[in-house]
Amino acid sequence: MAVKPYDVLIVGSGHSGGMAAKILTEKGISCLMLNAGPQADFARDRVTKPVYELPYRGFGEPGRHPHIYQANEFNANQWVDEREVPYTYPADLPYNWVRVRLLGGRSLFWARESFRLSDYEFKAAEIDGGGDSWPISHADLDPYYSRVEGIFRVAGRKEGWPQFPDGNFVDTSYPPDSQTIQKVIELATARGIGCSKGRVSMGENGLASSINLLLPDALATGRLDIVPNAIVREITTDKNTGLANGAYFIDRHSRREMHAQARVVILAAGCLETTRLLLNSGIANSSGVLGHYLVDQIYGINVVASVPEARDGKAPQGLMGGNTFMPRFRTLKTTEKHNFIKGYCMRISSGGGANPELFAEYGEELQKKLDSYAGSCVSAGMYGERVARFENHVRINHDVKDAWGIPVLHIEAKDSDNERNLAKDAADTAEELFHAAGWEMVSRTERYNPPGYSIHELGTARMGDNPKTSVLNKFNQSHDIKNLFVVDGAAFVTCGWQNPTMTILALAMRASEYCAEQMRTAAL
Amino acid sequence: MKRRRFLQAVAAAPAAPLAAQQAAAPPQAAPGARQPAGSFRGAQSAPQLEIAAADLSAPPAAPTFFTPVQFAALRRLGNLLQPAMKGHPGALEAGAPEFLDFIVGISPVDRQKLYRDGLDALNARAKKQFQKSFADLDDRQADAIVRPQLVVIAWSEDLPRDPLKHFVAQAHRDFRTATQNSREWATSGASSGRRGGRGFGGGSGLYWLPIDPVVRG
Repeated sequence: MAVKPYDVLIVGSGHSGGMAAKILTEKGISCLMLNAGPQADFARDRVTKPVYELPYRGFGEPGRHPHIYQANEFNANQWVDEREVPYTYPADLPYNWVRVRLLGGRSLFWARESFRLSDYEFKAAEIDGGGDSWPISHADLDPYYSRVEGIFRVAGRKEGWPQFPDGNFVDTSYPPDSQTIQKVIELATARGIGCSKGRVSMGENGLASSINLLLPDALATGRLDIVPNAIVREITTDKNTGLANGAYFIDRHSRREMHAQARVVILAAGCLETTRLLLNSGIANSSGVLGHYLVDQIYGINVVASVPEARDGKAPQGLMGGNTFMPRFRTLKTTEKHNFIKGYCMRISSGGGANPELFAEYGEELQKKLDSYAGSCVSAGMYGERVARFENHVRINHDVKDAWGIPVLHIEAKDSDNERNLAKDAADTAEELFHAAGWEMVSRTERYNPPGYSIHELGTARMGDNPKTSVLNKFNQSHDIKNLFVVDGAAFVTCGWQNPTMTILALAMRASEYCAEQMRTAAL
Repeated sequence: MKRRRFLQAVAAAPAAPLAAQQAAAPPQAAPGARQPAGSFRGAQSAPQLEIAAADLSAPPAAPTFFTPVQFAALRRLGNLLQPAMKGHPGALEAGAPEFLDFIVGISPVDRQKLYRDGLDALNARAKKQFQKSFADLDDRQADAIVRPQLVVIAWSEDLPRDPLKHFVAQAHRDFRTATQNSREWATSGASSGRRGGRGFGGGSGLYWLPIDPVVRG
């Protein structure tokens, strides 16, 4: 069955698909949005329960989400179940692919950390030769970032640092830093490490999602139709022109297959699902780089110290609490010599306790330790940049199919010494700061989570000026098929250390306005 | 994304106003429309019954996964690692061994093997050192076997490679969670009130029901 033709077909409803729908419909363009999952009803689908009333006493169903470290039994049903939509990877290279198919996608649940990329990322090749440069600079994206920050109501503190571009922030006041955080800032500043605050999308009512900030505007135009439970299997192209003309999709419940027609196709299915769809469709890959240059951020290290004056519940008022955020501070100058390129950010938090597994004790002796350390700890964690490399890639595994018969992705992502050295430097830096502060070291590890854990998978359909080495042009438009756009994180060239959502949104806004203009002038 | 930050984000998400939801009202028969003879008019409302939560935490009479000897060792280990203290129930009072018999019994085979081999190893060492089964050791004797197996775990995914150390670390983690997430802990009057999860906390949280699940035969 064919549904009515639309101007634009949008696959996916998260931040990028929502932005495309808002921009296009507000310019008078009719859009059909297909989303692979249902719409959640936050009132109907959630209930408050004590943990002992859950089926598995908070342990979760064994083996259900082996790669979603963020999953617990309370939220288990919000994630894509990999038994339903599996993926494969080499046995020695596990990949944590964390997906949400509800309407709004991962925009329902993100941590709302809202950073811009800087020219240290956009101009990677010129800065350090690690990865290619983007075909755009921060200046190109700056006005779009500002508009996105306005919609999402980003709170942040302006610093004027080139690696941490300021934005269009809402007025925010910060409580005074605790004495331990002041100490960290003093020591870090003396070492040339700038300390700031996190930048967070305030949104509305604590939610900064496609479903409350973007899709309502699009629906209000009367030009957006949304079909939930529509799993897109293949983008279709016109035999004569080679242009995209729609997509086959499968109803999630009945498995009935349908076709949607459109003049333009915009993919916003969430990076790897977008690339999977392109690969399964056999299109947009004359360059041979589709699926390659997969990146995400390293999330890791755990360095914990205890402040002696705060032990045994004796912390005076104002000593403990709060945190400080250190944007990338390594390799900003070419004169710096390290055994790595790129950088990382670090967050140092004050006032927590110690994890019981940091003591080789049990029973009452363990409890005494926990009571003594409660509220006395300062801890450090980092997000670092992985280098974009051709060999880190995804491809179709035709031997495995999902619950709807669609071939799955095979993911191969391997870290190098650069990633390990970044993490080690972060742990060394935190440990040295804590020593200098005179605090007791409790624990230190430079371990970090597997690729994918950050839920920031990026690349695999990267943009560039050269059609032989990139999939998209600088407007997120396929080099091969001019009426096909990819507006999600697949377009990234490098990932930076920054959470990518603001950049995804700014790129989606820019690409959608370009697309609308092309449609208006009949270039599309 | 840090697990805690993610939980905070979820907890903060309100009921979402969404224009698309408004279109979901069920179709209604026109006023005065005739119903076919013998048909039911669709109920427009139904009472919401007050259903008290039954106390179903009493343990079953016998383990279903572990052998009686293994289960006796598991109980002894739980009582050692997670005793009753500070007004809180211990592993035994919380029914944690019985719960672990259930959860390990439906876990992947590597977890099942870890537990069975670990309990067998505790019994073997108890026999060798004290000529008793592990369940019959006093605290000092049990400590002599268990303490050398304790290790610091700086990264939660990095459990020890040595199988017995790995088992003791996993069992310690599981006993804490099963005990602190129990009804007995919550009703002991000393509940932390923290949002619960897989980790150590207990308390209540917002539970996502299955959302429009696909039903397969």
